[in-house]
Amino acid sequence: MKEDTASPDIRRRDLLRMIGLTAGGAAMVQAMSALGVAAESPYRGPIDLQGAPKGASVLILGAGMAGMTAAYELRNAGYQVQVLEFNGRAGGRNWSLRGGDRYTELGGATQECKFDKDLYINPGPWRIPYHHRGMLNYCRKLGVPLEAFVQVNYNAYLHSSKAFGGKPQRYREVKADYQGHVAELLAKATRQHALDATVSKEDQEILVESLREWGVLDKDLSYSSSIAASERRGFKKDPGGGLSARPIPSEPMGLKDVLDAKLWRGISAGDMYDMQTGLFQPVGGMGRIGEAFGRELGPVIRYNSKVIDIHQDPAGVTATYEDTSAPGTRQTARADWCVCTIPLSVLSQIPMNVGAPMAAAINAVPYASAIKVGLQFKRRFWEEDDHIYGGITYTDLPISNIGYPNTGYQSSGKGVLLGAYIWGLDAMEFTSMQPEDRVKKAVEYGSQIHPQYQEEFDNGVAVAWHRSPFTLGCMGVWTDATRAKHYDNLCQIDERIVLAGEHASFIGGWQEGAVTSALDAIGRLHQRAVAQGAKA
Amino acid sequence: MRPFLPRIFLGAVAGICLAGWSAVAFADNSGVVAVAGIGEAGGQEIYGRVCQGCHMPNAQGAVGAGRYPKLGGDPALVSWQYAALRVLNGKGAMPGFGRLAGPMEFPAPVHLSDAQVADVVNYVRSHFGNRYKPDVKPEQVAALPHPE
Repeated sequence: MKEDTASPDIRRRDLLRMIGLTAGGAAMVQAMSALGVAAESPYRGPIDLQGAPKGASVLILGAGMAGMTAAYELRNAGYQVQVLEFNGRAGGRNWSLRGGDRYTELGGATQECKFDKDLYINPGPWRIPYHHRGMLNYCRKLGVPLEAFVQVNYNAYLHSSKAFGGKPQRYREVKADYQGHVAELLAKATRQHALDATVSKEDQEILVESLREWGVLDKDLSYSSSIAASERRGFKKDPGGGLSARPIPSEPMGLKDVLDAKLWRGISAGDMYDMQTGLFQPVGGMGRIGEAFGRELGPVIRYNSKVIDIHQDPAGVTATYEDTSAPGTRQTARADWCVCTIPLSVLSQIPMNVGAPMAAAINAVPYASAIKVGLQFKRRFWEEDDHIYGGITYTDLPISNIGYPNTGYQSSGKGVLLGAYIWGLDAMEFTSMQPEDRVKKAVEYGSQIHPQYQEEFDNGVAVAWHRSPFTLGCMGVWTDATRAKHYDNLCQIDERIVLAGEHASFIGGWQEGAVTSALDAIGRLHQRAVAQGAKA
Repeated sequence: MRPFLPRIFLGAVAGICLAGWSAVAFADNSGVVAVAGIGEAGGQEIYGRVCQGCHMPNAQGAVGAGRYPKLGGDPALVSWQYAALRVLNGKGAMPGFGRLAGPMEFPAPVHLSDAQVADVVNYVRSHFGNRYKPDVKPEQVAALPHPE
């Protein structure tokens, strides 16, 4: 056994070295990811930027996670740093909408968030997995307290509008029954010698034993109604105390029902590496991180600054920008180097004199459509009536998700649900609606799962990322083909300009992609600055 | 493990990711997908459900940190090929609608048939103040280069 496992490892190492030699570092990282050895965030602890040339300056475009990571580290390393930000706040897509906030989207519709105090919605990212160590590091450094984000809640629902008469099913029941029936089939197939060619006699016994435990099978290897099975899927009548104590087991769904309903599609979300427990959220909303970064950087960030031109020459980089509170005005900012974190959807429209490979890369990445809708209700009926504390319900309705707040459990007063989190065609359709119609639709669809919606709905906000004035989309979408052709060209330093952001990462759409791309970019920029500084 | 190695090696050198990568890399993928697609929707409906999200209901476009082009009165629309190629292949941040979704691809691209591309091009070229003849045929769209 030992030799079997050791030898592929050695071969793997040799292989990676070969790939590194022939195809360069990026290809190696890619191959390592495919082999499962570099799948963690490449965050390697605090970056070391010693020896910054005296007086060297860096202009950073964008005060999102990438831009502020770069600004924070470069400033601490002794660089003179200035950040230009389009919005009037720090954070970019790291953002929470709270009561009293106003948001005007492209097209001019303005929404006023009417949530009660302490209630919020995260229009952008909403969870941080335990292995996104860059993000966790900055939360710690900036003093942003975290709490648990619940991805899998066994008492939340999986819902198909086309199965069980549209009645939502508990995740717990779907998972137990799917697992039970699959275990039964496989155990019986094993006993009927269907696996004789692939599994040894001894291992067949072990396999059957494991399936009995995994699927809660009875002595005949059947999955059926029992106290044991109810310990997984829940009881018809729960065990209790006293004279009314006796439990009554529940009745599993049949195999055909389990398969045909296709609810099994929703079982594995929490098995994804990025969505495995432990997951975190900042106390008070994801936007607390951007706010803390903004406070830390203070006057380093110039807000309401819309970049309209980026020009480099042999001595430095000049950005021309307009103060959005004084349209038509032109100002410039200049530095030795530039870290540009402007989303490619916007950057592709800004004149910038970089070489053809980077220019082509900037133009090669379309932006995804995504929607989030926050709904405030007069009471936390999902807890009071349905006993759902945090987590996510998945549905085949266009709203796709209902996210329950992972905080403030059992509090009286109002509560806010994530009433829709949508990608793809449905997101485009919701984007095409006016905000109030998106909210109305989310309530309409959601009430098929929680009938209390109709009675308890209070108010809502809807953020369509393609209508976001500062990103014109949710995130960059790469395909295998565009990655192969353009990714390295996007990330290479072009004379004095380097790009960073989730779009310059392999963790697209995650904040960790922004953080690690920024650290990677400034590490390389620093080397170049040190080399040049010595010459000067 | 061993049988995989040559394949991974070739894939990495050629810069090709292994299947499944795109599915892993994105921000949320429950595997649960909505039931309704774009179906056989015609030009006006496609504009209303897809295009107007960015180009706006009146095709006037919008301006923020960047902008969405105004389609009403866009002189480039004199060329139906220009319009059809934009829809098929996208441009910059605009996604193309001529590509079928790969296996496990998330978020799945929206795919329009050649007939639908012709239809939505005809719709845009004959509305919003544009006065071109809506006579583009699916066969003509089929003859244009499509994304891989």
